Amino acid sequence: MRRPRRGRGLAVLTAAALASTALAACSSASGSKPEIIWYTNPDNGGQAALAKACSTSQYTITTQILPQDATQQRVQLARRLNAHDSSIDLMSLDPAYTAELANAGYLAPIPTALQTLLKLQSFKGAVAASSWDGKLAVAPFWSNTQVLWYHKSVAQKAGLDMTQPVTWAQIIDAAAKTGTKVAVQANKYEGYVVLINALVMGAGGDIASDLTKGVDAKIDIDSPAGRAAAGVIQKLAHSSAAPPDLSIAQEGQSESTFASPSGGFLTNWTYIYSAHSKAMGKDLGYARYPETVAGKVSRPPYGGIGIGVSKYSKHVSQDMAAVKCLTSPTSQGKYAVAEGNMPASAAGYAYPPLRKVYPADLLTLFQQSVDQAGPRPTTPYWSDISGALQSTWHPPASVNQGTPAKSASFISDVLHGRSLL
Amino acid sequence: MTTTVATAATPRKRQAATDRAVAENRLGLKLVAPAVVVMLVVTAWPMIQALYLSLYRYRLTTPNDRAFVGLRNYGTILTDSLFWHDTFNTVVIMVVSVAVELVVGFIFAMVMHRVIFARGIIRTSILIPYGIITVVSAFAWQFAFSLNNGFVNSWFAWLPGIQTGADATNWFGHHWPAMFAIIVSEIWKTTPFMSLLLLAGLSQVSEDMIEASQVDGATWWQRLWKVILPNMRAAIMVAVLFRALDAFRIFDNIYVMTRGAQNTESSSFLTYRQVIEQFQLGLGSALSVLLFLTVLLLAFGIVKLFRVDLARARGEA
Amino acid sequence: MARRTRKALFGTGVGFVVIMVWCLLPVAWILSLSFKSQAETNSGSPQFLPKSWTLQNYRDILHNSDFLYALRNSFGIAIIATLLSVIFATLAAYAIARLDFKGKRLVLSLALAIAMFPVVSLISPLFDMWRTFHLFNTWPGLIIPYMTFTLPLAIWTLSAFFREIPWEMEQAAQVDGATPWQAFRKVIVPLAAPGVFTAAILTFFFAWNEFALAISLTSTTAARTVPAQMSFFVGSDPFNPPYGQLATASVIVTIPIVIIVLLFQRKIVAGLTSGAVKG
Repeated sequence: MRRPRRGRGLAVLTAAALASTALAACSSASGSKPEIIWYTNPDNGGQAALAKACSTSQYTITTQILPQDATQQRVQLARRLNAHDSSIDLMSLDPAYTAELANAGYLAPIPTALQTLLKLQSFKGAVAASSWDGKLAVAPFWSNTQVLWYHKSVAQKAGLDMTQPVTWAQIIDAAAKTGTKVAVQANKYEGYVVLINALVMGAGGDIASDLTKGVDAKIDIDSPAGRAAAGVIQKLAHSSAAPPDLSIAQEGQSESTFASPSGGFLTNWTYIYSAHSKAMGKDLGYARYPETVAGKVSRPPYGGIGIGVSKYSKHVSQDMAAVKCLTSPTSQGKYAVAEGNMPASAAGYAYPPLRKVYPADLLTLFQQSVDQAGPRPTTPYWSDISGALQSTWHPPASVNQGTPAKSASFISDVLHGRSLL
Repeated sequence: MTTTVATAATPRKRQAATDRAVAENRLGLKLVAPAVVVMLVVTAWPMIQALYLSLYRYRLTTPNDRAFVGLRNYGTILTDSLFWHDTFNTVVIMVVSVAVELVVGFIFAMVMHRVIFARGIIRTSILIPYGIITVVSAFAWQFAFSLNNGFVNSWFAWLPGIQTGADATNWFGHHWPAMFAIIVSEIWKTTPFMSLLLLAGLSQVSEDMIEASQVDGATWWQRLWKVILPNMRAAIMVAVLFRALDAFRIFDNIYVMTRGAQNTESSSFLTYRQVIEQFQLGLGSALSVLLFLTVLLLAFGIVKLFRVDLARARGEA
Repeated sequence: MARRTRKALFGTGVGFVVIMVWCLLPVAWILSLSFKSQAETNSGSPQFLPKSWTLQNYRDILHNSDFLYALRNSFGIAIIATLLSVIFATLAAYAIARLDFKGKRLVLSLALAIAMFPVVSLISPLFDMWRTFHLFNTWPGLIIPYMTFTLPLAIWTLSAFFREIPWEMEQAAQVDGATPWQAFRKVIVPLAAPGVFTAAILTFFFAWNEFALAISLTSTTAARTVPAQMSFFVGSDPFNPPYGQLATASVIVTIPIVIIVLLFQRKIVAGLTSGAVKG
């Protein structure tokens, strides 16, 4: 009497196990016409529309949405790929962890012909950010960059000449003088490292070099450039121009500060134009990313997405054809119009409808910024370096001239497993 | 096997008694076996595996880099300031929340004990925080303390140090305010459990004794300390033990409310982050082992300190 | 004397109100948030009640397939785990309460130790094991550990209930010719049913609530439960957290809890406190 009862319990368990494996099998085995599953970062449906447009009689592309922040995207993708999950075909990858996934062997190599085509069409910065070990690991899809957004009325009141390049010190002082805020991204997350990297590169330095040496890469942040970057953050954090939520501000919070009555200046991605040009009208100004050091050309942040193909996909050649379509200049242009995220190629910028939506000088500014952007170092250990920077440079109010030295030794301790992160 | 016991019962009593004992023993073991197996499969075996992995340098995304490092991971952790800082945070959260809950929970229990009307309503409202998902409670409090969307700033703006408007108080922007918010959410969620355990203890204090002391002229305060609390000792100990160990494992609230920013990480959160976000299987396993040992030590310490025989306290002699 | 009683009554009344407000305020808060529009929360909405009430969040969430999958997973996993856990615990608790066998104390200590076990320290090895056994991101991958961690509570609650059941009745049944097993099934089961039910509620609460394992051992909507899904919530605006939708999801997952609490509050209290203070 007892045994059957326990047996029933086990039967339920087994049934549940079978049911869930059956479910998994169902999504990958799809008959004659393969279904290409594209994991995208969240957007307003722009990638889903492209997936539809690029579906052919040979295959259908469908989309699945990844978590919101780059760290969570990385965690989910790496863990599933490590488990040889074949239900991922294409992935929209952030440059922050592209090298890590490529180095771990999770990405299918892009065929030479497609490599050549992509290298020819894309911006140099986009190619650099998408490459690992001398080859393109992902296909550059769109390239993001930041510019300085400002209220023209505020700049005018502060007497700032925005036709000339401005420095961080100038805009912080201008905002303090006018009782407005300089909104940046300084929460403890990847976006804060984007800011730090741009500041360091703007001062002519870099965070790390000799990246092919892996954990033995050279850490350069303890340098005059690093200290100049720390100086800017220090100045902002202790100024009345710092928003109250500085230490928890991501893109959205900084955008709200900018749109509020106390908004003055904002460094943020290209999407700000489509989000605020209507409400702000002629008051919305834009200029090149601020200089860290007066007279030294700024290196705006590089962001964006490259599309990678999983090595564990069951139909890699069709996936590559799909990638080619999804990253074509026309697709890039369409996506830019739909989402406000700019193309990764000059040809994409030439897409006529795009030129109707954006003012020509803004498109030129975007292109210039992408072209001269300072990408973050590409290394499989970026998450360690970035994490170590976040924990030494956060909160912004704690940054001082000793921070770069502290972070340099912490980064190398973390890379060598001598310190917890 | 059970039928033999029944038939053998009458003829030879002695033999039957031992037979019966053997059968009972066997039946007992068989009945507990499934539960014991399930409990061990998911705890003992993984712990052994964690012990093994903790001796390696092993990162999920650089599998070729795997190497035996002996006890070095433990050395790294135990000399690391982050580990000790997070342990300190965890202890602060545990001590503060348990202390507050003990007082608040006791007051709740007194009220529930005394209330003669609407008992169902008060029981229901106290059980809702108990039953609610911790993640939901964390979100509710995170939004309540939120800079732009929370009511805390606007309701308590009359208190010194709390502001609204352009320079609103940023609760999650600094260490102690963020810890405060986390502790509030922890207290809200778990006070009901504490108060119910205390209520059960309170109901066992005999009314006669209280009345007798009242007749003797003892004040309310004296009655509380001399009669009520000493008679609730077992209940208080069990409540403190369970809540303390529970609070030491705090994870959900921190994950939702700060993600460990402003140095609000707990030991559990640190372990989670090493394993899941940093892919550090070696270091993470070493942390898992240390966390397990800490909890064991803590449980042992509380039991020794309060001299509670838990099996007795659970009613099992 | 009369004055003192009135004073005590007043104190109790005040306490009553304070408890109600303290316990229900956050619930009222998420309920109110769930009726605020995304536009209102994006521009900052510090007042308690919405400026204008909207049902949009509810409409959105009922069209959010990820959330609906998570809801399905949560129900499925919690119910199966509860069922299995209660079956196993009933057997074990019966043995502990009624039978004399070697290792009884050991089983009780093991249960106690597991109740105190730091769940997070299992994440690393379980993640590795589940990948090997292909249980990662499956229902059984969560059901098995949930059983492990609910068994101790279920065993205690049940053994406390079983001890209250008159032993003589089982013996009487055995004298009437029933085997111990029959005695268990025919006499004890009906008497124990309320206790089993209480244990089931407490177990369900745990499985419904669990978060650390749910985010670590799942990666897609194939097995992700509601608490985990909520921490991955993505609104239509990629850079702003969807406050209203999170609040709405919170309200929806709290409804089953409120219903269970309303219906069974007496049983839950009995279960939580049973045996906790004896001795």
